[in-house]
Amino acid sequence: MIPDLPLLAALAVLGGLVALDGASVGQLMLSRPFAAATLGGLAAGRPGEGMVAGVVLEALHLAVLPVGAASYPEGGPPAVAAGAAFAASGHSYAALLGIVLFALGCEWVGGKTVERMRQLNVRFSGVAPGAAPGTVGRRVAAAVALDFARGALLALAAALLLGWLLGRVQLSRVPEEWARLALGLTVAAAVASALRLFGRGHWPFFAAGALGGAALLVLG
Amino acid sequence: MSRIGAGARRSMLLRSFAVQGAWNYRSFIGTGMAFVLAPALRRVHAGDPAALGAALSRHAELFNSHPYLATVAAGAVARLEDDGTPAETVVRFKNALRGSLGALGDRLVWLVWRPASVLLGVSLVLAGAAWWVALLAFLAVYNALHLWMRAWGLRVGLREGLGVARALREAPFPALGEAGARAGAVLAGLATVLAVGRTAGSAPEWWGVGAAAAALGIALGRRVRPTAAVGLLVVLIAGLLLAPR
Repeated sequence: MIPDLPLLAALAVLGGLVALDGASVGQLMLSRPFAAATLGGLAAGRPGEGMVAGVVLEALHLAVLPVGAASYPEGGPPAVAAGAAFAASGHSYAALLGIVLFALGCEWVGGKTVERMRQLNVRFSGVAPGAAPGTVGRRVAAAVALDFARGALLALAAALLLGWLLGRVQLSRVPEEWARLALGLTVAAAVASALRLFGRGHWPFFAAGALGGAALLVLG
Repeated sequence: MSRIGAGARRSMLLRSFAVQGAWNYRSFIGTGMAFVLAPALRRVHAGDPAALGAALSRHAELFNSHPYLATVAAGAVARLEDDGTPAETVVRFKNALRGSLGALGDRLVWLVWRPASVLLGVSLVLAGAAWWVALLAFLAVYNALHLWMRAWGLRVGLREGLGVARALREAPFPALGEAGARAGAVLAGLATVLAVGRTAGSAPEWWGVGAAAAALGIALGRRVRPTAAVGLLVVLIAGLLLAPR
């Protein structure tokens, strides 16, 4: 289950890029688990499978807010590895259950590495009045390179460890139906919890959306 | 006549995408702010390396803001530097601005626009859309506001200078926030029912369980993440140990 070398290299590059997108450069939201897992799946040749993993991870990441200097889990690089791993699992919900749990742990580790990097970045803060005009650019470039390397290493480690674990733990012993129900209910609960972000006073709009969803299910 | 021409403005806008590039616990995005301002400062202080160095040093000091609205501060500061405003005034102005730029952006983008946009993508997937349709819809809707905010911020900052607070008050952020919150709530309801429907399938007893899970999710709010993680772990362990072979 461990990805081959070209795929590992692609996942590392993607991990670095989505780590940058998370805060340092861009913030176009390619770093959201929804997008990052799809990109991981795309690298593994099955973007649709990657997106399935992305939906579960995204639902659980909705309420994570990068406000101020707060510490928060990092969704991007672990989602890249998770998307690729689920793409290679043959659409097993039992495997997805294990992958999601592993990715949640990795998100926590990622958040800790972001904190450490920001401590290291203190060396790039401030510029002496007599410094050369290019100093600021070089400092930003060095910090960006550090973040890319951090994200790439995180995605690489996650892909390797996840591949190894999926090969060792007999997740096929977990009934597919149990895993499917647990994941589906998790997505439903996590997505519903987003109402709190928009304000509970908006519940009539939530109810209208729910009615629309019911109509879609009946018609479809 | 401004010394900050179209080339410098374009360069500032492009550099604004890396305003958080050197984020750190001492100066926050201060180094990044100096990086964004550098093209304007080079023109304003052309031929005076000492003044340029002093200006870059001043602007690399502590600053924080929402990253998309940092362009408001960058534009306004560039305008003040171009006008020859005393350094102490510019520093005081930056300090006064940073709190409101952070709060405005956090409230509109992180709390409303981003979850609403991503719920659009998730709803499309759950409704059966192709992966690329869902991904493009999410990225297009989210970045429409994101990119507009960066460009608008720089333009307004350069135009208004010290008067940028008035432009911020008149900006359509509250209306956008309310519209986004309503759309987000609709999409949350839609995605919830689609997720329950996909889970329950044709088994009616699971509809009740799904509805209970959704209600629990709303009650838990942000605590849904750790709770769900524990629940999934329990299912995994139970499946590995107890499931019939």
